[in-house]
Amino acid sequence: MPAKRTFCGSPEHAVNRRAFLGAAGAAGATLAADMTQLDALASPAVNDALKKTQKRVILLWLAGGASQLETWDPKPGAPTGGPFRAIKTDVPGVAISELMPKMAQRMKHTCILRGLDTKNGDHGSAAVTMMRGRRNEAAIRYPDLGAVLAREMGRPDSKVPDYVSFYTQTEGRSMAPGDAGFLGARYAPMDLTTNNVPDFIRRLADITDLDHKERSDLRDVLGKQFAAGRHSETLGSQNEAYERVRGLMSSEKLFDVTQEPQKVRDRYGPGQFAEQTLIARRLVEAGVPFVRVGRAWWDSHGQNFETHQEMVPELDHVMATLIDDLKDRGMLDDVMIVTLSEFGRTPAINASLGRDHFASAWSSTITGCGIKGGSVYGKTDANGNKVVAEHVDAGSLFATIYEALGINPEKNYYYGSRPIPLVNPGIEPIKAVLK
Amino acid sequence: MRLRLLLTAALVAPSAITARAADAPIANTPIPQVIDRYIDAAITEAGVTPAGQADDATLIRRLTLDLVGRIPTTREVDEYVASTDADKRAKLVDRLIASPGFARHQAALFEAMFNPEGNNRGSGGFRQYMTDAVRENKPWNRIFREVVVPDEADAKLKGAAEFIRGRLSDADKLTNDVSVAFFGVNVSCAQCHNHPLVTDWTQDHFYGMKMFVARTFDAGAFLGERGYGSIKYKPTKGPERTAKMMFLTGAVVEDPGKEPTADEQKKEKEALEKAKAAKTAPPAPKFSARAKLVEVALKDANAEFFAKNIVNRMWHRYFGSGFVNPLDQMHSENPPSHPELLAWLARDVAANGYDLKRLTRGLVLSKAYSRSSKYDSNPPDSKLFAVARLKPMTPNQLATSLKIAATDPAAFDGKKPDELEKMYEQAESSASGFARLIAQPTENFQIGVGEALLFSNGERVLKEFLTDGGNSALARTKAMKAPAEVAAFLVKTAYGRSATSDEVKAITTYVEKRKGREADAYRQVLWALVTGPEFRFSY
Repeated sequence: MPAKRTFCGSPEHAVNRRAFLGAAGAAGATLAADMTQLDALASPAVNDALKKTQKRVILLWLAGGASQLETWDPKPGAPTGGPFRAIKTDVPGVAISELMPKMAQRMKHTCILRGLDTKNGDHGSAAVTMMRGRRNEAAIRYPDLGAVLAREMGRPDSKVPDYVSFYTQTEGRSMAPGDAGFLGARYAPMDLTTNNVPDFIRRLADITDLDHKERSDLRDVLGKQFAAGRHSETLGSQNEAYERVRGLMSSEKLFDVTQEPQKVRDRYGPGQFAEQTLIARRLVEAGVPFVRVGRAWWDSHGQNFETHQEMVPELDHVMATLIDDLKDRGMLDDVMIVTLSEFGRTPAINASLGRDHFASAWSSTITGCGIKGGSVYGKTDANGNKVVAEHVDAGSLFATIYEALGINPEKNYYYGSRPIPLVNPGIEPIKAVLK
Repeated sequence: MRLRLLLTAALVAPSAITARAADAPIANTPIPQVIDRYIDAAITEAGVTPAGQADDATLIRRLTLDLVGRIPTTREVDEYVASTDADKRAKLVDRLIASPGFARHQAALFEAMFNPEGNNRGSGGFRQYMTDAVRENKPWNRIFREVVVPDEADAKLKGAAEFIRGRLSDADKLTNDVSVAFFGVNVSCAQCHNHPLVTDWTQDHFYGMKMFVARTFDAGAFLGERGYGSIKYKPTKGPERTAKMMFLTGAVVEDPGKEPTADEQKKEKEALEKAKAAKTAPPAPKFSARAKLVEVALKDANAEFFAKNIVNRMWHRYFGSGFVNPLDQMHSENPPSHPELLAWLARDVAANGYDLKRLTRGLVLSKAYSRSSKYDSNPPDSKLFAVARLKPMTPNQLATSLKIAATDPAAFDGKKPDELEKMYEQAESSASGFARLIAQPTENFQIGVGEALLFSNGERVLKEFLTDGGNSALARTKAMKAPAEVAAFLVKTAYGRSATSDEVKAITTYVEKRKGREADAYRQVLWALVTGPEFRFSY
């Protein structure tokens, strides 16, 4: 028999993992039963229980590439600076674009990474890289951030989805679909691309709720006879999947923004991005480990400044509201907000007054959940052309996210017999921004 | 080198057959006997009781799914079960292998094998090529040649080029995918560093293999290949190296390719332009590295990788697991579960002209293949093949089988064989759209909640499989009076077997609670049956 362990697909693993999750999630299990009863969540006791169970992430995905110069790393007065000023924030010495006055008052919660140098200025492949923390290899499609968190934090008996991805605008949608890579269909996202209601979550009109439920019970009864004496992990996964259906259907109202008090909806404001971000908050509150809210049309090759003048204030408002909302609910230590794009934009301003693709010196932010608020990591030169200190690449960004969430970035998955660490070997989290 | 020692120990050459043990089966023993001899010996040695043989209804379901990609009709099941012909299993296998469904289903499996990621399918040309190849029973070594050195001028062979075409922009991927598909070896670890655990694979191997394929380029309507071109790489230690053209065994090929002079380069460019304008294939190089790869890989002892890979993959196809798992990890640190049997089958397939129909027939006629998948106590180590594995259906198998199950069995009555084939093909093609919504099973496959939601609430499931119009199974239930009769009928339609009394009771109770809404109730019963594990798996 093999002396070295080169294979690790044994069923025992999965069983142990499930058993482990079952035990670890015991506190959460009772909670899970009431997950969708939002009233229950209003009670601080429930939020305390949630706190103990798991961390969660909302990714604000600024598709097309938001400009760092009009957001987190302004260069006022530089030839590349553009027309907008920089303003002081609540963190002494840290200034951001004047287009973000609300975030300027909340930077004490947020960490800016200004030294992203990710080498890839092509929408498609850069989006793949920035969703995974690395390039796909010849023979390996890596799981993206959402799939990893679904696997690490999702519970097999959960009544809510493990990974939800909103991407309703058309620009760039096909370039950055949520993707479980080699983790497979079990961890694939629930994708919302046409509206805010997930596919197949709603009962068809021609079956009553009672029939729908009892039909499912009949399926279980008939299936038990077959399952007796048969041992298969895939068989188990099928039953697990069907067992989750009714719970997931009851999570439909999590996606219904009208369930939220008008007061709260007004706070987030109008528009799809605001609504979906509010839904994202509802989802993480109910225990969804990872939600991506895609907001497209940042690809400002022409009229960069008009584009950002219109879009940055929306980002500013929605992000600030989300931070306030999570803080009010006592959730900011457990929910991480990440802003990320496939790349940033060139400091050079082109003839159409646009900025082009730029991956050499751009910015991302992480808020909440074990990240040092008010910190700035990375420094770009006077014109924003290159990173002069504290470089960050996709790998170290992801290692930092995992570390902050309490997940060991060096943890291995196995693809066949090949160990695949969550981030490529040798890549370290950025200690300076971790609490 | 360690690997070479291992290879010599189990040499492919048929003459070396008596090398191992006096009791090794001789070359012309039928494949099923050899399989059972080795498999049973290992089971006995482990002190394990194997599962009994599956019953006839189970066996015909398994064979029909495995060979032609659908469940059998109830009529096929009944005829098979009722037959007293001692040779009925072999006759069934021969009928299925000879049918057009075999070529279509096997081609779909080969396409998934060549594109394990499932996302870079071409225009359908590759599927067509494979379908023709399976129908004509092209030897596997010829398929290898036609895929790696495609003849695009021949319309019938053009589709084979899509494997290379889809990877032209990424020579690393092409290198690894060729190596995985034909040799069962994933060398991608060795791209960046020598394999940390497996001494077999070094960077020299990765770049050595890359030398065979990296000279390929897109010349418009045709693939082109240069007769020269070197690859330099930086090893983890030491100075930069220039790759040798080297096969996985370490066999180095003399590479006559020299960098062209400026004049030669100009001529080459002109010739290319000319070919492009004339829409003909670009001039072939004097030395084709890809053709050389085919030659080297099939030569003498080198062919062991090629032969063992196809045997391992075909074994996996029918037994649900390989002798070596994962399928792309054939190396000395990951020994096969049954080394002698794998070696014997590899020798046998090589000695018989890489005839895959013959191999397939041999595999599915073994007793090891026809064991029951049920084992009431703790099951023995799955590596022993003492119990049949559950195999999740592929998207095509599942969708086509749903079509068959949703059809009134009487619709298949009184039809000539070629009419039946047309009906099966029709079921398959009308199900292909739905099939695209289902995930392709992979290693350690887990069914996601997306599939359960699709089946629970998807309108297509209702419209495509649960209608009660025309010659559907549900239409047939309208004429039936007693719920028990319908229960027996639907279980038979979905599962191809008689209903148990518990099933009849559960279904009858369900239907009686819905008096006056029987049509709804029956639709829901059919749903509960076809979403159940007994339908979802080949067992």
